[in-house]
Amino acid sequence: MTPRLAIFSLIVPACILAQGVPPPSGIGPGAPPQAPKSAEASAPADFTGYYVSVVTEDWRWRMVTPIKGDFASIPLNNEGRRVGNAWDPDKDTAAGEQCKSYGAPAIMRVPGRVHISWADANTLKLETDAGTQTRLLHFMGKPAQTDKPSWQGYSVANWERPVRGSGFPGFGLGATREGAHGKALEVVTTQLRAGYLRKNGPPYSENTVLKEYYDLHKERNGDTWFTVTTVVQDPTYLTEPFVTSTDFKKIPDGEGWSPSVCTAK
Amino acid sequence: MDKRIAGLSAAVAHALLRAASPLLGTLLLFAQTNPDTVKLTMAPVQGNVYVLMGDGGNITVQTGKDGVMLVDTGFAPLAPKAMAEIRKLSDGPIRWIVNTHVHTDHTGGNAEMAKLGMTGESIGPPRIVAQSNVLNRMTTADPGQPKIPEAAWPNDEYFLPSKDFFFNGEAVVVYHVPAAHTDGDSLVFFRRSDVLSTGDVFTPGSYPIIDLARGGSVQGEIDALNRIIDITVPAKYQEGGTMVIPGHGRLCDEADVVEYRNMLTVIRDRFRDMIHKGMTLEQIKATKPTLDYDTQYGATTGFWTTDMFLDAVYKSLSEKK
Amino acid sequence: MVSLPVFAQVDFTGEWAPLYHEDGPERLPGPELGDYTELPINAAARMAGDTYDADRISVVPEYQCRPHGGDYSMRGLGNLRVWRDIDQASEKLIAFHTHMLAWDSERTIWMDGRPHPPDYAPHTWQGFSTGVWDGNMLTITTTHLKTNYMRRNGIPRSDKAVFTEHWTRHGDYLTVVTVIEDPVYLTEPLVRSDNWYVDPGQNIGIFGCEYAPEVPRPEGTVPNHLVGQNPFLHEFANWYGLPYEATRGGAETLYPEYQKKIANEYHPPDHCERYCKCTSLFDCNVTSK
Repeated sequence: MTPRLAIFSLIVPACILAQGVPPPSGIGPGAPPQAPKSAEASAPADFTGYYVSVVTEDWRWRMVTPIKGDFASIPLNNEGRRVGNAWDPDKDTAAGEQCKSYGAPAIMRVPGRVHISWADANTLKLETDAGTQTRLLHFMGKPAQTDKPSWQGYSVANWERPVRGSGFPGFGLGATREGAHGKALEVVTTQLRAGYLRKNGPPYSENTVLKEYYDLHKERNGDTWFTVTTVVQDPTYLTEPFVTSTDFKKIPDGEGWSPSVCTAK
Repeated sequence: MDKRIAGLSAAVAHALLRAASPLLGTLLLFAQTNPDTVKLTMAPVQGNVYVLMGDGGNITVQTGKDGVMLVDTGFAPLAPKAMAEIRKLSDGPIRWIVNTHVHTDHTGGNAEMAKLGMTGESIGPPRIVAQSNVLNRMTTADPGQPKIPEAAWPNDEYFLPSKDFFFNGEAVVVYHVPAAHTDGDSLVFFRRSDVLSTGDVFTPGSYPIIDLARGGSVQGEIDALNRIIDITVPAKYQEGGTMVIPGHGRLCDEADVVEYRNMLTVIRDRFRDMIHKGMTLEQIKATKPTLDYDTQYGATTGFWTTDMFLDAVYKSLSEKK
Repeated sequence: MVSLPVFAQVDFTGEWAPLYHEDGPERLPGPELGDYTELPINAAARMAGDTYDADRISVVPEYQCRPHGGDYSMRGLGNLRVWRDIDQASEKLIAFHTHMLAWDSERTIWMDGRPHPPDYAPHTWQGFSTGVWDGNMLTITTTHLKTNYMRRNGIPRSDKAVFTEHWTRHGDYLTVVTVIEDPVYLTEPLVRSDNWYVDPGQNIGIFGCEYAPEVPRPEGTVPNHLVGQNPFLHEFANWYGLPYEATRGGAETLYPEYQKKIANEYHPPDHCERYCKCTSLFDCNVTSK
């Protein structure tokens, strides 16, 4: 390192310290390594609480069972359409598969209430009263190879971080902008059992990868909402990723909570 | 406030308001206001044209090397305050005043503004232009009301469909729109500035006052709004272009007038149909014929309520011609 | 000492193509007459929708080139371009700008803390927008919108509305949460969300419009259905087997418990006959299957 560069590398962190911005971990002389915080402790936003879905989109595909063969807005391929047109809810019920439309790729579109809480410091629990489903969002998790596919699959969660960058607030030297860290919850779910994207049978396969982004927002009237953007990637039945975004309003704890079983129709 | 009115019970006063004209209503409303607390706001519109808000109706102000022109003059007690705002724009003499109609919230300041607007450059009092029905009504006092001083009367009335002159580098065209808000309404078009002052023919925040006692009518009001739409030309995609200064309320353009015209046309169509079926006013009111517009334009209190508007529409469409 | 100015938190700059994976039939070909589902409307809005005649769009010349309002634009009725203004001296973000295909609509979202105009200022189709950051979410507040529609089948949105948006970018997806508060026509805020994906190869053409009356009508004609005389209001319910009351909208119909209320009154046809397939402008006809 040239003397000029060596001096520069000391001046830059000194300036930043002078402005009250803490250097990233490990930078600076004598800085001790920091123990990783739990997901709960490092949460940039608090998603816990009870929420209700307010159905202002896709009403006739969510509030009632859609008509057989009605797959409007879903980018199904021909095979997906063929399988969807063969939907037989009585057969699903007889086979004990009435929860097919309550799997992770679809559950957030089912009208109902949602309860989010911490199952432990690194696992967020999301329960729905519709279909009485439970999702576990594992921070720092990894699905075991032997796990059987399930309606809710295995979800790995992260607080959304920029793709690249050291986190060092920079000024054009290839580092991440200060404040570019979001407050969103990012979830990737695999190991899904084949199910339906809607109640009337448009399918998704076991090859599905589900990505979700949860964003909290507070409104002018004081209401708190979260919006979950859901990206369903299924090369078996979809021509492109199926992207929806669903909105939930925060409600007083437990208000209106009404667990119901899955129904195929 | 008139001492006779102040001494009456609220119910009787309200009945008087309903029976009398909106002119009286606005006078009473203003009489309860302390001029010292009234805030006036001058805003640029387009070209040479400004609007002064807060003094009764909107006052349009055009300035330039020739002097000052006003469309309407607000209330007399606020004239000094209004003049102070005008003097921030120009120290030229007021040479023209155009009254859009007879009501006091638009003509009350005529005499005061004419006097205050004279300077060493004046060659006489300003021309006060108005449709001849305005002069006719001003020279005949309302029953029980004081006579309007001659200094406030229009001195340049017109009776043809329009009048025009050139001032501050642009043509000014005054159009008579008959039997609208009143029988003496004028629209004032500043051709180069591309601004149209409408008086109370267009009041975007409330149902139009149809002053039946002074020759107003629903159909005439609709015709006047259609006339405004004929005159105005929007810029790209129905926005901007000719700016419209309403009698009261915010700055607008053609698209805003279209919404207002549509509202009144739809209401007229409904009333016409029900009157044709022989329904009485009370029967019509029971159907809530303006429910879709009431929150936007209606009022349950004040000097022009939804109820009064419905009465006026019914009477206007029912009267035999 | 090096000064660190405040940078924009996230850059939304780019070309964005809308995704129609929600409400495709309503957003693309357009809503069906009498479909007021999904909207927390009041009786005034319902009456406006019931008496609306879609002929108005062509018969009223001034409506032929009337653009979408800034709020309706964000239902994604066209491709979107976003760019930004950075002040050269301070490197501060001054504004985002948007351009949408429909009516070449352009909007400025001021990021420099300036106040909204006073009440008497003119209203425009896109309104006046200011934005603030909340983490990497951009919250935009828009006022001074002209009267327009909340849905293209006659449900209006008044000029008293306040329109809020929350923009977030997750990789190649832009999610825009929209909130319409309209004291004239809504009983509670209307909250929805739509998605775009980045499309760098996109080319937004010129929309263009010139009004041209094609059918002679008396001046000032405003097509409308008299109250109680609109013959089309039950079609939507009949086609989809829905109880008529459910199609009338209103806040009650948006919440999960409403499902129980209508469960026994829903009688759908055996198979889909209308808009069975709809993900883009090119595959969303009434008979698409």
